[in-house]
Amino acid sequence: MATTAATAGTAATPFAFPSTYNFPPFFTPQPNSTTRHSQLQKWSSLIQSWCRHHRTYRLSLVDAVDSPLFHNAALRKRLNLAEARAVVDWMTKKEEEGGGGQRAEWIEGAAAGGNTAPKSVAWIWWRRPEEWADVLVDWIDVTGQRGVVLTVFELVQGEATVSQGRSLITQTGSTENGRADHLAEFHGMDNDAMMKALNVLVKRGKASVFGNEGEEGVKFF
Amino acid sequence: MFFKSLDLTTALRPLLLPDETLLFVQDAVGLYEGKYKIPDYQNGHAYLTSHRVCYVAAEEPRKFSVGIDLKEVDRAEYQAGFFKSSPKITLYPKPQKGKTDKSRSATASPAVSQQSSLLPVHPSSPRPHSVVPQPSASPKPVNATWICPICSFSNPVPSNFDPATATATTHLPPCLACGIKPPFITVLKAAISAAASRDSPLPSTTSLPTEDNAQKHGGHSGSSGLMGSVSCPRCTFVNHPSLIECEMCGAPLTTGGPSIQGDDASRADSPAPFFAQSRIANSEVTDSIKLSFRNGGEKTFHERLKGALIQRKWLLQNAPPVPLPSQAAASPSGPAIATLESPQPSAPRVTAVGIAGLEQRGLETRMNNQLVIGNAFEDLEALMASAKQIVALAETLARESGMTTNGGASAETNAVLSESAAALGMVTTKDMLSSGSENLYLSELSRNLAEYLTDDRKGILQREGGIMSLIDLWAVFNRSRNGVELISPSDFQRAAELWEKLKLPVRLRRFKSGLLVVQRYDWSDEKTVRQLQEWMEELRRVPPDETIPWDWTVFGRAVTAQEAAQRFKWSVGVAAEELGMAEDRGLLCREEGIEGLRFWSNHLVA
Repeated sequence: MATTAATAGTAATPFAFPSTYNFPPFFTPQPNSTTRHSQLQKWSSLIQSWCRHHRTYRLSLVDAVDSPLFHNAALRKRLNLAEARAVVDWMTKKEEEGGGGQRAEWIEGAAAGGNTAPKSVAWIWWRRPEEWADVLVDWIDVTGQRGVVLTVFELVQGEATVSQGRSLITQTGSTENGRADHLAEFHGMDNDAMMKALNVLVKRGKASVFGNEGEEGVKFF
Repeated sequence: MFFKSLDLTTALRPLLLPDETLLFVQDAVGLYEGKYKIPDYQNGHAYLTSHRVCYVAAEEPRKFSVGIDLKEVDRAEYQAGFFKSSPKITLYPKPQKGKTDKSRSATASPAVSQQSSLLPVHPSSPRPHSVVPQPSASPKPVNATWICPICSFSNPVPSNFDPATATATTHLPPCLACGIKPPFITVLKAAISAAASRDSPLPSTTSLPTEDNAQKHGGHSGSSGLMGSVSCPRCTFVNHPSLIECEMCGAPLTTGGPSIQGDDASRADSPAPFFAQSRIANSEVTDSIKLSFRNGGEKTFHERLKGALIQRKWLLQNAPPVPLPSQAAASPSGPAIATLESPQPSAPRVTAVGIAGLEQRGLETRMNNQLVIGNAFEDLEALMASAKQIVALAETLARESGMTTNGGASAETNAVLSESAAALGMVTTKDMLSSGSENLYLSELSRNLAEYLTDDRKGILQREGGIMSLIDLWAVFNRSRNGVELISPSDFQRAAELWEKLKLPVRLRRFKSGLLVVQRYDWSDEKTVRQLQEWMEELRRVPPDETIPWDWTVFGRAVTAQEAAQRFKWSVGVAAEELGMAEDRGLLCREEGIEGLRFWSNHLVA
């Protein structure tokens, strides 16, 4: 399974970095707690928008530290692995704990590049599983598929999610544009991420998942 | 004998006259006039100098401080303590000539006016008016001013300048405006003419002072004043009655009759011993002053007072140096500085010309220097005596070495050394205090330091950008002491910690890292932050030299502690701390890189 999945369409437009990305102190951990908090927030939103742009659900820090995300070649500044880990660590914490609102989640025991050390790969929740669940429910509602059994593969890779998304854009017009984008967003989603979203729906009683590992079917109520 | 008003330094110590040296300090001293305590003068520091005995109250020192000239003191008697009575030293005035004490009421006001103008008026300090209305017997230059022939600035004649004893070698202070020493004759003339004008009765104002006097005896003074304004005796400018100095020419307005009004107005709120005494004593006044030593120290005080009375330093101002013992033929005579060519060539000297002559001269100079240094280090006493010479010698040596190495540092050294000559007279050493009074030593040292820091002539703090680390100060200060009576670091720190308690105009500040710095008391972090902010704004406007990947119009440029130190004239350690402080406040943020630690205007916090 690929740890990063980027669709051809989104990779075509280059990622627009925020202005702070070119601010050299951005890459140095700040000792002042207020400044540090603000810095972490900026990093968090940068990582989220980076992952969203590249359709990345799992971020392997070992690979990412050499990517433009953590390495600003123009400034010759980078966030090293430990610092990147600190940032993601902060993102995994709840906001009440002074963290980044659980926008990331460590994947325990995940191997990346032969590195089995803990805290090397993380889910980056630019949409939290609960939010993904909402997106799915919305899509089911709009497309009128309540009560229909779908396979997970269909949801993630199926033609329907692409075409539905696109047709919706044309149907609903510009005012619904944002929502239409969301609807198509889970196309090409990481399977495990999709399962997490579906599990949220199961818990809510809005769907049931059945079938074997790898060939799950899902029914929305 | 008179109580005289004192000029106090920034650290609330008496301002010493030229050539005056501090001999002893004792705290917890009370003043008696005759048998009676003088209210408000019961707890203070007694300073014994070579010229005066000064009293400075612990509370409200600017209001309650007086000095007594030793030259008016006939003798001093020591009186041991008995049960609850503290040991005392009684000062008896010299016998009055020609006038009796009964003339008190009639002659009181001329004495008052004369007294108030005895010392140059310190413009910033409210002047204490502590006057015993006794006419002075000895002639004295009063309120004399001499006009500088260079810049025509009106300078006060030093109060210890006595035309009767002064000679051409008398030390004269330079002009206050241009710093050029006046010709002796100018000052002498001014002093004599002033003395003459004072001796003549004041024709137009005789009625006023008595009226004024009556008011005083009534126990209150009219602040409204009989006249609306006061015309300056020198330039005739009509001043506001509450001014004590002429607005135009700076002349004291206390000489003439009308000026007493002006004097009175400022006096309204300060009950001086004059009133107090007239209240307490009324008729019975014994003509002696007692110092009551509640905290010991009276023995040393008495001893040194006796010594000062015998030495009579006020007579010989700028005495020639101690004659050198058994000298070689080449040594110069008189006050010539060692490295200078001796004015009278020694007898066996061969008049050589050319290179040989130059060489011979160099040899002579070297021998001379050797002799001076040799004598100086023979024992400590000799070192103290020849300190001036040694300092002069060191200065010339420093100058010479500065010529060859051409370093800014040597100029600095030179400056410090020359300062030290001036500092010699003013430092508090443990020797000046009775043993066991550790607290007094510390508080005096603390005042000493504050004076040293705020002295505008040296401008120590200004040169360091208004802030200086305590260690630097310790080093500079000890250096200025010429290696004598050095202060231990712990004493130094404890003295510095006393600044706040003593309400001195400097303060000690501890940075987060524990670095101790010295600042002016009115300096605050907000000011530093504002300065840094302005600097950051400036950097955003200046285009950088090379192309940089970030948007300089938004982010500006990074600064290092070195750059900050250079810009604000701080030391690097201080600059690093100040930047850290600004970072703590969220103004700056840091960038660590291969170039080291650099600081940026904080754009991380939106």
